[in-house]
Amino acid sequence: MTTLLDRPVPVAPPLVRDRRRWAWALGALALVGWALAASGLFSGAVLNPGGVAQFGRFASAALRPELAPEFLAVVGESVLVTVAYAVLGGGLAVLLGAAGALAVARTTWGRRRAGRLVVRGVLAVPRGLHEAVWGLLLLNVLGLDPWVGVLAIALPYGAVTATVFAGILDEVPRGGFDALLAAGAGRGTATLYGLLPQATGSLLSYAFYRLECAVRSAVVLGLIGAGGLGYQLSLSFTSLRWEQVWTTVYALAVLCLAAEAAGRAVRRRAADPRAGAGRDPVLAGAVWAVLVLAGWAVWFLALSPATLVSARAREQLGHVLSAAWPPATDRDLLAAVLAAAVDTVLMSVLAIAFAAFGAVALAGLVARPRSAGPVRRIAGGAVRTALLLLRAVPPPVWALVLLFVLLPGVLPGALALGVYTLGVLGRLVGEAVEESDQRPREALRAAGAPPAAAWLYGTVPSLAGPVVALACYRWEVAIRDTVLVGLLGAGGIGVLLSASTASFDWPAVATVLAAIVLLGLAVDLLSERARAALR
Amino acid sequence: MTAGERVAVVGASGAGKSTLLGVLDGTVAPTAGTVEVHGSDPTTLRGRELRRLRARTGTVRQQLDLPGPLRVVHNVNAGRLGSWSAARAAWSLLRPQGAAEVLAALDRVGLADRLHERTDRLSGGQRQRVAVARLLLQRPELVLADEPASALDPALADVVLTLLGALAAEQGGALVAALHDPALALRHCDRVVGLEHGRVVMDAPAASLTVTSLEGFYGVTR
Repeated sequence: MTTLLDRPVPVAPPLVRDRRRWAWALGALALVGWALAASGLFSGAVLNPGGVAQFGRFASAALRPELAPEFLAVVGESVLVTVAYAVLGGGLAVLLGAAGALAVARTTWGRRRAGRLVVRGVLAVPRGLHEAVWGLLLLNVLGLDPWVGVLAIALPYGAVTATVFAGILDEVPRGGFDALLAAGAGRGTATLYGLLPQATGSLLSYAFYRLECAVRSAVVLGLIGAGGLGYQLSLSFTSLRWEQVWTTVYALAVLCLAAEAAGRAVRRRAADPRAGAGRDPVLAGAVWAVLVLAGWAVWFLALSPATLVSARAREQLGHVLSAAWPPATDRDLLAAVLAAAVDTVLMSVLAIAFAAFGAVALAGLVARPRSAGPVRRIAGGAVRTALLLLRAVPPPVWALVLLFVLLPGVLPGALALGVYTLGVLGRLVGEAVEESDQRPREALRAAGAPPAAAWLYGTVPSLAGPVVALACYRWEVAIRDTVLVGLLGAGGIGVLLSASTASFDWPAVATVLAAIVLLGLAVDLLSERARAALR
Repeated sequence: MTAGERVAVVGASGAGKSTLLGVLDGTVAPTAGTVEVHGSDPTTLRGRELRRLRARTGTVRQQLDLPGPLRVVHNVNAGRLGSWSAARAAWSLLRPQGAAEVLAALDRVGLADRLHERTDRLSGGQRQRVAVARLLLQRPELVLADEPASALDPALADVVLTLLGALAAEQGGALVAALHDPALALRHCDRVVGLEHGRVVMDAPAASLTVTSLEGFYGVTR
């Protein structure tokens, strides 16, 4: 000890741990422990040695994708179908979201909280159901029509967008808005002149983020028959044509990459528009491009508004609604719903634990460093490409791949979701690292700390909060994705929904849908509380 | 600079004080000329050798660079990372190592009662003192301080600068402090270097200067 510090040491103050944070951390650990035990990982056989050879054939085909011109033409056509659904579904969602935002914003309701709560409650229903569930339901009302794919994206996305848009409107500084109200302007005019100009950047940014997500949703809808790349992928998979599967996967990856890069470029521009007056040419160009693409998509999909108001659609909707009320409440069904809900939670918890662990482990490699040697750059590029492939392939397809080597059960579904979520979370955590303040780490390096220790003390503390928040947010998404995996047979509450829809048991469908919405709300609430405690 | 010397760097904002300190601790690469610290040129060293050299230089920066969510005890212990293994560094986050020394260092800067506090719950002045406490545990031979007293009241500013000078003297090294307060510079340093537009325009013993003569560097006219 230096003589400077060589003096009587005072009594250390007691260490007061934040009990709430500890309780949440221990609770999360217990939940993961329970999910691992219940998945059968420690108790029974989970591996399927018989499928290893098939998995080998599948994996080796990655290096020799199908490149025959006829097949490439089919893939090209599928890309167009997927893009058309994404642009129309995403675009319509933004329109619905803008209208919904006005209906749900605090700005609109002022102090009348009850009205606002009612609208929020109504929006929770479309928001709580996965796009594929909407697809399945709409298929029974509209039949095989392109509107099914468009609305299946637009309805849930529209509800989410409404909530987010309302949040943005409510959060912008209100000085100008209040001044206009005080000067006698109506709420509408005051919003137009006092709030919208300040919120435009954030609104545009989120709208483009939704369009980016719509590409992935359009692929998923293909899996349940809406056409496009997802449909092509499932066709190639079920006919065991691995070379074709890989061609489709690469096309998906390129499409996802293009959507992410374009979305990110526009969002960065929206967040930091060019100084000076006048329109930003990039933002204006992006908006025009979406409008032109939407016009093309209407023509390409041969979308007819008449379908929506046709007598057949109205009749079918009336039939489904009247058949579904009242929902089934028999004991057997409720017991099955409860058991399936537990399985669904279990799968989503395992998936998030796997993805969060993987994302944190890879974060250092995924983030693009400001200065690095060629080896580090190549390794980072390889990991980023792998993550892109993981999130380009929808979870149900991962479940099919995993079923080569794992026995059917909860585990393949959970891992499939985990693998896909790792692709998304890995990218988000990598971006969080890139955006985090690097100065503490650099200061420690300048004081002679080795790289690992400097990362641990300089970067990790500031990252822990955002990573937990991202993991919680992805859990909310994962619980809905679990339903999708189940719809295609991998267990959980989606299996029940798929079975009851197939047998046109509408009262049972209503019960299962209510359970799905309630489950989603419960997870949202839990995740919101966890994030608040860790803030 | 010679061992035991205490040098104040003065100059208006943008004169190059922080850049000079950055060149000395190796976070800023010089665009021209050479720099020699502890007899070596840090730009020519790599890996362990560079780390060893860097561990002998300690800096209190203007923007402090203390991760907010970390408790004070860990931020102070971070001064010892240069001599710890990665495993010990990781373990210390769960069970703080050498807490007695951390407590003694915090006591020197009047923050012993904040040992377990989250750093982002402290005021700017308190965080500045945490950064000084970290330096006390690092025990560098060359102590660099960029505005170490900017957020402190006059009495605490004197305490902190006295501590930094004593730390450098104890390790047989030197103190270089960029300061905006001429009186503080004259009270705590033996030599004053004046910078203007990145160039040294004055280098004189503190005893030969007055507060009024230094105020010219900050554009103060009377």
